[in-house]
Amino acid sequence: MGEEQKTPLQSSLRVQELIYGLKISEVMTKKVFAVSRNCTMRDVQQIMKNNGITGVPVVDSKRVVGFVSMNDLMNALEQGDMGDGVTSHMSGEVQTLAEEMPLSFAISAFNKFSFRSFPVVNKKNELAGILTFRNINLALIRELSRQLREMENQHSAVPETESMDLVKVYQLHRYDFENGGKASSEIKKFLKARGFHAKLVRRVAVASYELEINLVAHSIGGMLSFDINADRVKISSHDRGPGIADVEQALTEGYSTANEWIRSQGFGAGMGLPNVKRVSDEFAIQSAVGMGTMIRAVINLKPEKQNED
Amino acid sequence: MNLNRIADMLEAELVHGPAGWEQINIETVFASDLMSDVLMSERDEMLLITSLSTEQSIRSAGIVGSEAVIIANKKTVTEGMIELAKDQDVALLCTKFPKYESCIRIGRLMGA
Repeated sequence: MGEEQKTPLQSSLRVQELIYGLKISEVMTKKVFAVSRNCTMRDVQQIMKNNGITGVPVVDSKRVVGFVSMNDLMNALEQGDMGDGVTSHMSGEVQTLAEEMPLSFAISAFNKFSFRSFPVVNKKNELAGILTFRNINLALIRELSRQLREMENQHSAVPETESMDLVKVYQLHRYDFENGGKASSEIKKFLKARGFHAKLVRRVAVASYELEINLVAHSIGGMLSFDINADRVKISSHDRGPGIADVEQALTEGYSTANEWIRSQGFGAGMGLPNVKRVSDEFAIQSAVGMGTMIRAVINLKPEKQNED
Repeated sequence: MNLNRIADMLEAELVHGPAGWEQINIETVFASDLMSDVLMSERDEMLLITSLSTEQSIRSAGIVGSEAVIIANKKTVTEGMIELAKDQDVALLCTKFPKYESCIRIGRLMGA
C-alpha cells in the first residue's frame, strides 16, 4: 500500500483524535448572556438582537432552569406575548453539557438532539458557558492549523527505525472479537523489540487488551489510540456509546453487564476495567449515558516513575 | 519443568510448536476458561490449560506472556487459533483429558 492511500485516513483520524482530546471548556464561549426568571420575552429579544445569538439560558442562582430558543421567541412574537415572563415560554427540560467532557460527547449530543446550542455547566452545576457548532468548527480549524504548522516545522526530521515514538489509532467494532486484540499484539511486539522488561510489556499489553475487549464487548464501536514516547505509554479508549450509568460500579471487581454470549467468549466477569486500573500508573474515566465513554491509562516506562503496586 | 514432559503425561497432541518448544520451561499452571482471570494473573513461565477453544484463549496467553496453551477435552482447534499461535510464538497442544484431570496429572509430575 502506497503512502498516498494512507494520508486521508491518517488525517481523518487526526480530527477524531482532536474531538476526543479537546475538552468542551476549551471550545465553548465563556461569555454567556443569560436571563433570570423574572425577565420578559422582550428582554430576551433585545439580548438576542444586540448580541447576534440564537438562544439564551434562564438561570436561578447560577443554575440553568430553562432555555429560550429562537423558536420560543418567534412563537411568543406571533401570539403577541412579548410582555410575558420567560418562564411561560422557555423549555424547562434543558439538556446541559459538563465542561470537563470531551468534545466528542458534545458532537453526540448535537446528533441526538435538534438544539443549536447547549448550556455548559461546571462541577457545581453552575452555568459556565455555551456551546454551538460554530465553536466546534472554529476550534477544529484552529487546532488543525496549529498541528499543520508543527508538522511543517518538523518536516526535515527523518523517522528512525528504532525510534521510541509511536502514535497509532485502531478502530474497533461491536462484537468483532476476531480483531479485538490485534492492537495489543502489535504494541506488545513494538515494546518487546525495544528491549523493555517482560513485566512492563505485560502491563501495557494487559491494559490495552482489556480496553480492546471492552470496546468490542460493551460499546457500539470506538477507537483505541496509543501515544508512546521514551517515558510512557498513553492508551486512550473512546467509544460512541452507550455510556456507563454508574462509573464507580463499573470499577468494582465482579460487577458486570455482560450478556451470555460475551461470557461464552471467556470475558464479562466484571474484571476488565479494574484490571486496567490495576496495571496502570495513571487511570481516568469519563462517561455519559447516550454519549460514550473515554478512558485514559498511562504506564510509565522509566523505572523511577513506575507504580510497583 | 520442560513442556515436553507435561505433553507426554497428558498424551497431548502438538498442534503448533515453535522451534525448541519441547524445552519451554513451565513453572506454574493456570487452568481456566475465564480469560478475565487469566489476564489478572501475574505468574511467570505459565502454562495455560483451558477448554475454551477460541482465538481469545491464544491471544490472552500471548498477552500475559505465557508460552504454551493446552486445549483440554479434545476440543476442535480452529485454523485461526493456529495462525494466532504462530504469530504470538505460543506452543499449542491438545489433550483428551479434562482440565481437572490434566491438573492432577501435572501435579503428580511436579511432585505436588
